[in-house]
Amino acid sequence: MRVLHIFIPILMTLAGLIPCDTFADEISFRNDVMAVFAKAGCNQGVCHGNKFGKGGFLLSLRGQDPSFDFLSVTREFDGRRINTQDPAQSLLLLKPTMQVEHLGGKRFQVDSLEYQILLRWLEADAPHDAQLESPLAKLDVQPAEKTIFGAEGQVQLRATACFSDGTTRDVTRLAVYEPVEQIVTVTVDGIVQQEAFGETTVIVRYLDRQLPVRLAFLPDSDDSNWNKTPSTNIVDDHVFAKLKQLRLNPAPPASDEVFLRRAFLDLIGLLPTSTEARQFVSDDQPDKREQLIDELLDRQEYADFWALKWSDLLRNEEKSLDRKGVENFHQWIKQAFAENMPMDRFVRELISSRGSTYHHPAANYYRALRDPLTRAESSAQLFLGIRLQCAKCHNHPFDRWTQDDYYGWANLFSQVNYKLFDNTRKDRLDKNEFIGEQVVYMLPKGNVTHAQTGQSASSRFLGDTEIAVDDDADRLLQLSDWIVSQENRQFARSQVNRIWYQLIGRGIVEPIDDFRITNPPSNPALLEALTDYFIESGFDVRAMIHLIMNSQTYQASLGNRPVEPIEVENYARPVVRRLSAEQILDAVSQVTGQPVSFNGFPAGMRASQLPGVRAIRPRDQQPSPGDQFLVTFGKPQRLQTCECERSNETTLSQTFQMVSGPLMNELLSGSATQIELLISSGRSVHEIIVELYWTTLTRAPTNEEINMAIAHCQEAADSEPGLEDLLWALVNSNEFLLRH
Amino acid sequence: MLGERNHLWDIRSLLRRDVLRIGGAGFLGLTIPKFLSASNQGADEAAWPVRAKSVIFLFQFGGPSHVDLFDMKPDAPDGIRSQFSPIGTSVPGLSICEHLPKTAKVMDRVALVRSVHHTMKNHNSASYHALTGVTPPLDDQRLRKLPDLYPAYGSVVDNVAPAHSGMPTFVSYPYVIGDGSETPGQDSSFLGKGFDPLLITQDPNEPHFQLPELSIPANLSHDRLTDRRRMQQLINRQSRLLESSAEAQGLDETYEKVLSMLTAPKVREAFDLSQEPDQVRESYGRTTYGQGCLLARRLVEAGVKFVNVYFSKGIGGQSTTIGGWDTHGFNNTRMYKILPEFHLPITDQTLPTLLLDLESRGLLDETLVVWMGEFGRSPKINGAVSRDHWPSCNTVLLAGGGIRGGSIYGASDKHGAYPERDPTTFGDIAATMYALMGIDPETQIYDRLNRPLPIANGRPIRPIIGQG
Repeated sequence: MRVLHIFIPILMTLAGLIPCDTFADEISFRNDVMAVFAKAGCNQGVCHGNKFGKGGFLLSLRGQDPSFDFLSVTREFDGRRINTQDPAQSLLLLKPTMQVEHLGGKRFQVDSLEYQILLRWLEADAPHDAQLESPLAKLDVQPAEKTIFGAEGQVQLRATACFSDGTTRDVTRLAVYEPVEQIVTVTVDGIVQQEAFGETTVIVRYLDRQLPVRLAFLPDSDDSNWNKTPSTNIVDDHVFAKLKQLRLNPAPPASDEVFLRRAFLDLIGLLPTSTEARQFVSDDQPDKREQLIDELLDRQEYADFWALKWSDLLRNEEKSLDRKGVENFHQWIKQAFAENMPMDRFVRELISSRGSTYHHPAANYYRALRDPLTRAESSAQLFLGIRLQCAKCHNHPFDRWTQDDYYGWANLFSQVNYKLFDNTRKDRLDKNEFIGEQVVYMLPKGNVTHAQTGQSASSRFLGDTEIAVDDDADRLLQLSDWIVSQENRQFARSQVNRIWYQLIGRGIVEPIDDFRITNPPSNPALLEALTDYFIESGFDVRAMIHLIMNSQTYQASLGNRPVEPIEVENYARPVVRRLSAEQILDAVSQVTGQPVSFNGFPAGMRASQLPGVRAIRPRDQQPSPGDQFLVTFGKPQRLQTCECERSNETTLSQTFQMVSGPLMNELLSGSATQIELLISSGRSVHEIIVELYWTTLTRAPTNEEINMAIAHCQEAADSEPGLEDLLWALVNSNEFLLRH
Repeated sequence: MLGERNHLWDIRSLLRRDVLRIGGAGFLGLTIPKFLSASNQGADEAAWPVRAKSVIFLFQFGGPSHVDLFDMKPDAPDGIRSQFSPIGTSVPGLSICEHLPKTAKVMDRVALVRSVHHTMKNHNSASYHALTGVTPPLDDQRLRKLPDLYPAYGSVVDNVAPAHSGMPTFVSYPYVIGDGSETPGQDSSFLGKGFDPLLITQDPNEPHFQLPELSIPANLSHDRLTDRRRMQQLINRQSRLLESSAEAQGLDETYEKVLSMLTAPKVREAFDLSQEPDQVRESYGRTTYGQGCLLARRLVEAGVKFVNVYFSKGIGGQSTTIGGWDTHGFNNTRMYKILPEFHLPITDQTLPTLLLDLESRGLLDETLVVWMGEFGRSPKINGAVSRDHWPSCNTVLLAGGGIRGGSIYGASDKHGAYPERDPTTFGDIAATMYALMGIDPETQIYDRLNRPLPIANGRPIRPIIGQG
């Protein structure tokens, strides 16, 4: 085999590499030139890979379509970009080396490897190897993961391309390296250099393959300092194993008070009452935490709170489903959680649903998703944790999904149709509004059109599966069987990740609905162990919750040191997050003893019990202060099938509402009467202060707090305004507003 | 033993606090990750120097008639030609509508883009297009405000180049506009609530106009608020969450800021129109729009970067006392009566006053003023002697902030029906605004699915940008 003499010295000097096992005799457009376009960044989305190209030169995004790129380079504008008579004078070489003005700047040096590859290809008359004899079959990157201790850490990554004929080639110098967290830089030769401590993924890409490398850079420390913390269950086994590897200590257990508050908020969305809190803390049974978890799982508020989460995801909103539909759908979801319907059945019922949206509430799933592409995208995101949207217009740049996958998946949903009985929409011009019963049914035929080919798509499931779809049989029944079957572990994996997120506050894959080759789980062993557990339990949601919440991991304390991202990513310490809109409003309502009213609902309804987004109200009537509060604090409109639609951001307008907003002021003033009652019932100011602390913060006040509060109340003859101020300060405290 | 390690961690957390502080500098924005993602994009400062520190965006909802205002066709035949006559302006050879005589005198400060075109025939879709620069997914009379639609220009600016003045980056008033349903494109959409405008739905022409957030309930005094804050801080010290958690620090910063705004004068004063001499208030016109434009000047003076002023809440067009520019002649009304009695006098009082006021304060060079509607109006006069929607051709005005005054870009055909030269899109207008603000129009923002999207789908119109 003749090895190209020109490459070896370059490769060896530039990268210090061992010569490649094999190297093609001739420069291949598909394997070499395309690699240069990627390496030099030419085909990125911000450059020539843009939908409109740049400077009139358009390449396919990240090289997904080599044939197109070949034509673009060699034929467009009569081939003005290349000059095979005098290759060095080709624009293809002059521009990226800035010998001619190039808006994209200098991409490589004259005589660099990139330059040489293009030059050699041009010298050979720019041939096209349209049908590769041995296309790329696999990319291998070493190491796949590594933890490095000490300052100025670095790692050499090595990428090996394996071709279908069994030959391999070291492509370290031509692979593209993209760090996800900007705590490292990577040289062109694949040397990762640490800039800051932390964990990151580096995506290594060569042609159409990419792999993640998980790297952690940590300060040097003695691993004998690692505390062996006893583990309670498989959650801790895997979390602690990873922490040990990172030489991070798990946090000590949280106090009863902190655990109790956390468990209430995470499971039922409410605060414990003062009585519940004091009882729990004084209880001395060793298994009281486990008991509490089971008690909470049996409460009606558990179903309310988890129905709220799923109502967000299933787009349970009035404009599409109408008020009756929203209430029926909400009731159905709530019932599913109340009776602990196994998750596979829940999802099977949604996917296979049809019939009247009034009488078969699950059919509202399709009533809300009006076209095949939306149904396909939503279902992939919701039940598989896959964001397929990118593959609509081009192959997914960060994952394996092609447009064929996208339209094949969408085709499964193409026969859903609606019979509208009497759409009495209020605004006849509003095509998004539906009022009245609808029947979801399947058309006997119908396919989606593949955007690239213009042909009818044929249905396929998403992922590695041998099972073919029979397009002439009921597609959604086939899908509902397949999605929860043994064939498709991704379903269980994605649902476990969702439950984990809802309790822990950060997915094992994060964002939770973005499973992707280039977005690996922070703890793969943990995810797989939980997935096994979930499948073996028969998709038992409560069993999964029970397992997670009984772990030391869930019950860890926060501590006082600044929380490092790597600690949160690996569950060494709990996630601190702002309470949700409903949690805050319900909590304030509870501690002030004042109900909040919502338009169109009876008094006493809690925010987390609301079935929909906006109840019908007379035209031009302002939303109630309670409804407005929820919007300000990020209650979603339920127009996206994404956890990300709910906002936990902190904004000034929220703080204005909390500090001096009319609703808060009204609730606090209303509480004054409650406080007066306590005073007139003969309780001392001291006792009332203690009570307020247990009610709001689930703990007793410290001495400093008692002294402060008593002093403040004694400033005036009447202690009631002082106590109202204290209540304000309590509900505006970090401890109240943050889940910790 | 852990000394070294703690030291290194400390540096990082110190850095993070720094970022937090900067990230909190925006008004309603306090989202650290988004701030980081914005700063990583690093707009190329050399490519786009900051010419406009602020933008005043005057949105003319309903669609003003380009062929009756700034792109008149006096030689067109009957049935197309405007009933108004053209008058000369301070730019030789440029004529505009006779009902805009004061405006005519300032046209040497203004650039006209006369070839703006798109295909959206409905107000909501066209206005979303105008308010974001991005083509809507469909042309729908009730275009739904979905969270995957683009954010308003001001929200983008807040995301990629927030104000550091202690003032909000983006303020919007005096309405949330809509045609049957709320028009998308007025808020932060997928960027998240932290980048919403400070929205005021009070009328700046009302005698006691003030920022509602700054009013406190009658039972609360400033002293009492200060007491409450002191107690809250003592409680916060007990949990020590502030030491460990960036979320707690961020939350506490919002309290610091809100309390200081409630008690300190700067922001309150910026919104206090009563501080303006009567003569100035009169010169802008005692109308909601006039006082809104005056307020805009006060806000950019105080450091607000983007102000959206909406001429009207709805599309209007049938009244001589209220509403937008949608003059179809419905219900036996007449465009040629309504415009000279309502829209044009207000416009002619306000727009030149704003430009001259900015100029006399030395602010015009650093303040870009944009005046536009969602589409033009049909060259053909309809049966009701009025004009219908016309997205195929429209005129946009830009002034100040690095704009070359007196320039005209693009041209319409002989009837004002289609661009004849240099067709231009709202995306180009958006790119021009960003470029003048020193923001690379190719800067990427990320939607809720973390997909990278450019802030503008167009290119800056270089010929209307002045030298140096």
